[in-house]
Amino acid sequence: MNAPEHPYAVMAASGKRATYCYQCVAGPDLLKVSVTDGVATEVEPNFGACDIHPGGGKVCVKAYGLVQKTYNPNRVLTPMRRTNPKKGRNEEPGFVPISWEEALETIAAKLRAIRETGLRDASGYPRVAANFGGGGTPQSYMGTFPAFLAAWGPIDMGFGSGQGVKCYHSEHLYGELWHRAFTVSPDTPMCNYLISCGANVEASGGVVGVWRHANARERGMKRVQVEPHLSVTGACSAEWVPIRPKTDAAFLYALLHVLLHETARERLDLDCLTQHTSSPYLVGANGFFLRDKDTKKPLIWDLKRAAAIPFDTPDCDPALEGSYECDAVEIGADAEVVGSGKLEGKTSFGKLVAHMQPYSPEWAAGICDVPAATMRRIANEFLDHAQVGATIEIEGKTLPYRPVAVSLGKTVNNGWGGYECVWARTLLATLVGGLEVPGGTLGTTVRLTRPLAERLHSVKPGPDGFMHYPMNPTDREHWNAHPNIRNAYRSMVPLAADGPWSQALGPTHFTWMFMKETPKGLPTVTLPDVWFVYRSNPAISFWDTKALSESMARFPFVVAFAYTRDETNHMADILLPDATDLESLQLIRIGGSKFIEQFWENEGFALRQPVVEAQGEARDFTDIATELARRTGLLEGYNASINRGAACVPLKGATWDFSLDPTQVHAREDIWDAVCRAASAELSDGKQSHGLDWWKENGLATKPFAHADWYLYPTLISKGLRFEMPYQERLYRIGKELGNRLHENDMQWWDKQLAEYQALPPWKDFPGEWEKSLAVMGGKSKDFPFWLLTARSMQYAWGANVGMQMIKEVADNISGHRGVIMNTGRAEELGVADGDMVEIATPLASVRARAVVRQGIRPDTLLLLGQFDHWATPFAKDFGMPSMNSLVPMTMALTDATGSGSDVVRVSLKRAGGER
Amino acid sequence: MTRWAMVADLRRCVGCQTCTASCKHANATPPDVQWRRVLDLEVGEYPAVKRAFVPVGCMHCDDPPCMAVCPSTATRKRPDGIVTIDYDLCIGCSYCAVACPYQARYKTDLATFAYGKATAAEEKRFDPKRLAVATKCTFCVDRIDAGMAKGLKPGVDPEATPACVNACITQTMSFGDIEDPHSNVSQLLAENQFFRMHEELGTGPRFYYIWDKKEAEA
Repeated sequence: MNAPEHPYAVMAASGKRATYCYQCVAGPDLLKVSVTDGVATEVEPNFGACDIHPGGGKVCVKAYGLVQKTYNPNRVLTPMRRTNPKKGRNEEPGFVPISWEEALETIAAKLRAIRETGLRDASGYPRVAANFGGGGTPQSYMGTFPAFLAAWGPIDMGFGSGQGVKCYHSEHLYGELWHRAFTVSPDTPMCNYLISCGANVEASGGVVGVWRHANARERGMKRVQVEPHLSVTGACSAEWVPIRPKTDAAFLYALLHVLLHETARERLDLDCLTQHTSSPYLVGANGFFLRDKDTKKPLIWDLKRAAAIPFDTPDCDPALEGSYECDAVEIGADAEVVGSGKLEGKTSFGKLVAHMQPYSPEWAAGICDVPAATMRRIANEFLDHAQVGATIEIEGKTLPYRPVAVSLGKTVNNGWGGYECVWARTLLATLVGGLEVPGGTLGTTVRLTRPLAERLHSVKPGPDGFMHYPMNPTDREHWNAHPNIRNAYRSMVPLAADGPWSQALGPTHFTWMFMKETPKGLPTVTLPDVWFVYRSNPAISFWDTKALSESMARFPFVVAFAYTRDETNHMADILLPDATDLESLQLIRIGGSKFIEQFWENEGFALRQPVVEAQGEARDFTDIATELARRTGLLEGYNASINRGAACVPLKGATWDFSLDPTQVHAREDIWDAVCRAASAELSDGKQSHGLDWWKENGLATKPFAHADWYLYPTLISKGLRFEMPYQERLYRIGKELGNRLHENDMQWWDKQLAEYQALPPWKDFPGEWEKSLAVMGGKSKDFPFWLLTARSMQYAWGANVGMQMIKEVADNISGHRGVIMNTGRAEELGVADGDMVEIATPLASVRARAVVRQGIRPDTLLLLGQFDHWATPFAKDFGMPSMNSLVPMTMALTDATGSGSDVVRVSLKRAGGER
Repeated sequence: MTRWAMVADLRRCVGCQTCTASCKHANATPPDVQWRRVLDLEVGEYPAVKRAFVPVGCMHCDDPPCMAVCPSTATRKRPDGIVTIDYDLCIGCSYCAVACPYQARYKTDLATFAYGKATAAEEKRFDPKRLAVATKCTFCVDRIDAGMAKGLKPGVDPEATPACVNACITQTMSFGDIEDPHSNVSQLLAENQFFRMHEELGTGPRFYYIWDKKEAEA
């Protein structure tokens, strides 16, 4: 079959048109837009989607900004060229309008020159780099540009726009290793007891998360919010525990202590622990598993046979605890045999029990500033609600039912302490058999293992009875001594893997830090010849934004797809106005199991269609991509990439073929018509081939997605695999190997991070890391007594919508959008009244804000919502609202082993005078 | 006799302001005019503090103080309980805004737009009749009337239901006929404990706040 050539239906001047909003990763939302005489006037839910969307088909507040976004007079509506060759915050770029022809030819000429010179520079880094923000959501707006990037070849996509410090970084990496959980969510529809350490789901969970948690509250789910300030989510929780910042690991360790040392062992899910985890694996004196001499499989102690046997031996009764002597081999890093013969082995679980012994609630109380009795009660409530032993039938399958979960927020699960928190969280679920089962703790998407669209299919057998994980190699033969991109994720972070998302999951701030001084052992980090930026404003959203902006100003040629002027495109050479959300055309996948709470009972596709004509000269991204491909001689590769699926879905299937002729330039409508037909065919096993007009009329189409497929447990069991819990022998091993490689290359600067590779991580003084950082900046803790934190604003998060007047108007109804939140009692001590201008400072920098005096925050904590501090973005630059990003130092010392930092900084606060 | 009422379940509201935004869309209100909005309140002292989100707007009172003080009879009450303002009669004296204990009324003397000059969407929807007169939540009366004319049921069929209720992402807001014992709102009030704002003033507000289930009868 081939796509028929025919004219497409013309839009009526008035009516309601279906489309989607995917401005944030908690989407997509399905909506309809009212159009009157060709003008978009009103957004409303697509009520036709209420039965297939798990949030009742409702639409997030951010989507209501789309009408204003379309008609914002501050939009860039023609291509622009910079006239001032000097770049910098204080340099006026002198942008002047140019034609599309001039803009595209200027860019194409640069790109052609690169192809002639070589795609990589002298350091081996790609000469072209690209930045896309928003957790992958720009891809839902950039049409076929990914096909152009694929056709191009090597591109450095590791500059980031805040990744690491602004994401759930430890959760992404360790979570995907342990239970294919790039993002983690409680099974909210069935969970009855949730411990939420800083997870602000009411602000970050999108419509589906908010909808589900409201239902859960009403039916009686108890949520305990553990957080230094009373967030929106804390407000909607049954209990608020105001914990000292960055001490969540101690809190979680205390809960583990209670489960392991203060309750009867039989209350844990012993069957799950022995059969479906590595708990019985024997560990030798050097910290590695004891292995069978012949098969090299990890050994367990069989109580039936009173002998050590390989873990996968049938008909056995594994010992969960104890120490046993057996004939074995212990293999360390780089395949070194560190023990052989009669060796003493302790079970992994036994080692865990001993490891957690010191971490009593009484121990944690002083660290967390939470009463021991509170922690003990919460641990027991968690256990009481776990219903160990219960089962439930889902779609004919009988599964364990464990309606308890723990969720972690940003700052808790990134930077130092992130590993310990996600390990403790996953372990709490594991101890009660509540990992990846109904009611429990779920992973809801994969981004590092393949295939990205099908989480359960990513489960493949790996070593030692665990899932395969595509670690970046650490053995001597395969370790990447020469990084493929500037942030060196392949060389430094084995867990970042090497998938399509891995570049952005590496230590993205390395790119920026190493431009100033590249550490020993890595090729000198260079500036990219061409840098593309789209829906990304790292000059605002990263940490240490001042230094970042100064680096950015050195880039020789920057192409920014520009909605309005902003702080990053202030450094651009060319601005390109792309048609925005309501003006352009694209088909995306919806449903299945995706970010955080986005696990549906349906899956399919939704169309974003031009609801109105594009304003000014704004051009659809697909047309821009096609034209760049043509001008750079990449048309065939570009079309071939679209045919392979770079525009949402492969155009050729088992019984259908809507492939584009690779040699021809195709119109936007023809490309998406073919994609629509292929999507229809995929949904219907080739029975249907609805074209663009059908999708414009209907907006979306879906098929059922099995509820049972929300859970990894059945897949794991069916493949005879175990959860890699509790003992992290593999991580311990690769840490040793990575250290060997780095030291062989005289690289000592990662030694602190190497220490994080521990099989059973102990508590460390995590808050102390930031106090040490303060000392390096020249400050003393007593002079900078506050922990400055941030929190999500649902109205703004990921939306790139700070220029929308209506969004500001409605967001201002929520406390904290107009200034820094501080504790009422503490404010009185300092003589600060609500509305006073205050100065917040580190030894190196300061910002000013209005004081917002509230009871719901710890006296030692300050909170700056969102990420503001704009100085170029129209409208937003007049907010007078600072950002902690201007204060947070970007340092190696504050970088953990996964390459992430955390949104925390010690500051002082004083009244700055001015009007009250 | 039909009597329209709004019910807000405070256990569900997260203060997202989606209702606020949707109201602004549906009713094309100018900047800083919010016929529907959600308050962000705190009660208690650290650490024993509670934070609550409370949707507010015109309460469409049984005995609306705004109507009593209106010198031009612009403010009236329909048989179905909806309090209306006739912009042709309103003289913009603002007595009503002062009299309203719910701070639900607005008056805009000059045409104001999001970015100074009207955008295409604002031009399309600008209504000069709304200048220099009192305005407030109408319970989306136009939708109710048009929907009912088509045989639709307000509070059930989206086309006949106030925009804030349609938009609410937590199902906090419900709308319906409180005189119908089988209506959604009547059922909610029968099953749950509720209060009305400033009930002691005797205005008879038709905006009910649910805060918990009714305790099981002995």
